[in-house]
Amino acid sequence: MTETERVPGEGDMWFFVVFESLVFTSYFCVYLYDRAQHEHAFLKAQSALNLPLGIVETILLLTSSWAIARCVQEVRAARYRSAQRFVLATVGLGVAFFGCKLAEWVRLIGDGHTFTSSEFMQHFFFLTGMHAIHLLIGFVVLGVIRYQLADPQHRSHQTIETCSTYWHTVDLFWVLIFALLYIVR
Amino acid sequence: MSLGASLRTDPKRELWFAWYSTVAFYSLYSVVFFVLTRTQPPGRPWLTPEQTVAWFADRHWGLLVGFALIFVLGGFSATSISLITYSIRRMSVSRAYAYSYLILYAIAAIPGFLFICVAMTVGAMRPERDPALLHWLYDFGFLSFSGTMGVFLVGSLIWMAAILLDKNGVFPRWFGYLNLCNALTEVVIAPSWIFQRGVLAWNGVIAWWIDVAVFGMYTVVFIYLLRSLIQRDDLGTGPVPAPVITG
Amino acid sequence: MSRSGERVIFWTLPAVAVIWIAAFLLFPGFVPPMSPKASAAEVAAFYRDHLSRVRYSMILFNWFCVALIPILMLLVERMRGMAHRTPVLRYCVIGAAGAAPIAFLTSTVFWLIAAFRPDRSPALTQMCNDLAWITFTCGVPFLIGLCVFVAVAIAYDDQEQPVFPRWVGRFNLVIALALVPACFAGLTLDGPFAWNGFVSFWVKNLAIALWIVVMAVVLRQAMDRDRVVAGAAA
Repeated sequence: MTETERVPGEGDMWFFVVFESLVFTSYFCVYLYDRAQHEHAFLKAQSALNLPLGIVETILLLTSSWAIARCVQEVRAARYRSAQRFVLATVGLGVAFFGCKLAEWVRLIGDGHTFTSSEFMQHFFFLTGMHAIHLLIGFVVLGVIRYQLADPQHRSHQTIETCSTYWHTVDLFWVLIFALLYIVR
Repeated sequence: MSLGASLRTDPKRELWFAWYSTVAFYSLYSVVFFVLTRTQPPGRPWLTPEQTVAWFADRHWGLLVGFALIFVLGGFSATSISLITYSIRRMSVSRAYAYSYLILYAIAAIPGFLFICVAMTVGAMRPERDPALLHWLYDFGFLSFSGTMGVFLVGSLIWMAAILLDKNGVFPRWFGYLNLCNALTEVVIAPSWIFQRGVLAWNGVIAWWIDVAVFGMYTVVFIYLLRSLIQRDDLGTGPVPAPVITG
Repeated sequence: MSRSGERVIFWTLPAVAVIWIAAFLLFPGFVPPMSPKASAAEVAAFYRDHLSRVRYSMILFNWFCVALIPILMLLVERMRGMAHRTPVLRYCVIGAAGAAPIAFLTSTVFWLIAAFRPDRSPALTQMCNDLAWITFTCGVPFLIGLCVFVAVAIAYDDQEQPVFPRWVGRFNLVIALALVPACFAGLTLDGPFAWNGFVSFWVKNLAIALWIVVMAVVLRQAMDRDRVVAGAAA
């Protein structure tokens, strides 16, 4: 197999990426349809979101994606100690993102914008909540990478690449959610 | 090989018995819920008590006969569970995974489908009952049926973990990931406990239509994969006992 | 594999049987079975008049309906000796054996809720009573499944000395068939198929009782044979 044909990680992970993308796409379609029906109400509810915070969150996750990509590069170069540091950086950035997310939810709920307060907020909490669940699973996945790196016996480049694919997917979903919920006005 | 022969003389006949029963059970289940009782797609959660009276009247015999059939044949849900438990026993993971799956799904049958059968039968058998109580039975039926998803969530994750850890190649790895997709859609149904209308209500576009699409695909795929698992298995033809797989 | 302690479990059966029969007779709604045609006021009056007997009998059932599970597990253990290549049918029996008593347990919960506040509105008491009776009468899918799985397991037990005699398989199928009409108890409030009718109440419950007695006898024989074999091997 030549270098250009190679898909990172195991091919089966890409099945998950495609399938989960389809599921998320269907959620987005439902959101956009609902939004078209009640554009004014959505715009009004949307104004409660804090755009700068959303941008910070996006930068955090994009940086974490860069860190995990660097980790894979280091693994390919057999620089495992450096790879370990990049996994830790990814975890740190992920935790920072999750912290921002929690703070955002707490602030919104404090201001009376809850899961049941408006249709926009229903979609907002649903989509960000689903994303947060994917993110939490992502921490387990990062744990797998750390475990693999720590033990030379269990070091599988393929598994590490598969895990990093998952993390990139979580990042991709966030970018889409951010664009739809925060940017599109 | 014909159905009769595979159930009589095939060395894998227990497996085929369980597989054909699984197919029959899921077919019956679909016919009862979608055709006979018309409880799928589910009724609208925002009906008033008076409208639920009309809802019950509209499908009186369908509910009574359809759910009676589930009362007769619902026990066959155990066949797919056992086959999946067996598939996990073939994997290079601890038996704990197999037994967890078995016990989770066996008990899930009670809230998973027995409650809706009881609630709807009780609702249909006395059309003259106080509309407020019929309304309660209607909610009880749909909420217990749609909302009880934790067992399926944890069950799917157990199956997923077993498949991904397995080194015997019992299932393709993409199916392990499909289990995760299925588990994640089980989360999506939880808001049906909260919303009476909208996309997340028990008949909503997200909580019902997208979920059922994923669950339907998942079910068809796992029934097909169980079939290829049985076909691949080589259990020999010699005399038994000396079970090939114990436990 | 250790067989130790199996006889202890087996001899809990007479105790369980005594408790079940006592609870059955203590519940005032079983002999004769309550009529589904009773009005809400009559149902409410029934609970007011027989409050203690309803409560104590159903608490007994609530405690001990699951007591059959250990005995069913003895049956599952016997199935290991069958000429099967896989444990699939054993898993089927385990699944059905777990769910069946829980279905019965659910009906005791409804009966006990109905009796908890006898001053409740009669329509509510009637609904709890209906839920209890339908769960009790129609909630047999796992018992039917159990009988069929045991029947199939015996049919597939191709060896010179099968674990259970052949007729036990056919007997299980007959019992499964005897339970089927009870599933349709919701369709009528009257006649042999209503929940208090000859078929849905007496045939169904006597079939379950007969199944327990017959299976206990053949289980005992199979256990004795196992012990002889184990003794010879030792």
